[in-house]
Amino acid sequence: MPSPPDPALPPDPAPHQDPALIDVELSADPFDPLLTLERWQATLPDAGAAEAHFSGRVRPVAADGSPLEALELEHYPGMTERRIEAISHSLARRHGVMAVLVRHRIGRIAPNEAIVLVAVVADRRGPALRCCAEVLETLKHEAPFWKREWIHGRGHWLTGNTPL
Amino acid sequence: MTSGELRVRLFAALREQAGWQDRLLAHQDGMTARALWRGLELGGSEPPATVRIAINQEFGALDTVLAPGDEVAFLPPINGG
Repeated sequence: MPSPPDPALPPDPAPHQDPALIDVELSADPFDPLLTLERWQATLPDAGAAEAHFSGRVRPVAADGSPLEALELEHYPGMTERRIEAISHSLARRHGVMAVLVRHRIGRIAPNEAIVLVAVVADRRGPALRCCAEVLETLKHEAPFWKREWIHGRGHWLTGNTPL
Repeated sequence: MTSGELRVRLFAALREQAGWQDRLLAHQDGMTARALWRGLELGGSEPPATVRIAINQEFGALDTVLAPGDEVAFLPPINGG
């Protein structure tokens, strides 16, 4: 039975009839974005003509310019995964794409390690690129994650997202 | 948790400011998340505008009347990705 519309997510102006393949995972361990993509692509029944990817890494400097020791990602177990799945399903329908992958780190992350990977397969570049960007931006604001910067052994919670 | 209780959860900076992350409280008829915040003395009469509410792991409203067994979480500003 379909879930009711989520007011925090964009409406589906033209729902896609074929449900997209949604693959969401949070990882406490480092992941290699390219290897993850390669493994995910091998699981897809249809390669699609267009594929968009975004991978983000932890900056080596903190918001105040100090060298960053580590970034810590706290989440709300259960709710965070379900929010990302709901965001992915909603935006996949809205853009009519075939598959969405989201990988997100949790816990302590070293500078330059991958923190997030979003990939979208579609029939055309427009929906693939737009869906990829929108999944990323939406999860930044609608999936419960909290970042804490560690500098010289002291932690500091961040209160906002980095500018687009 | 018994069927007549509520579970309250705090995360990140809110958890550290309060000094606890998880509490079980007796449910009272008509209780809302706003009343919970006030009763727990988490600061002021209601949460700052930047704090969001989750009820049973779905975003909710401050004035939603809570049911026995509900899990209520106060979420500081979200910043993933």
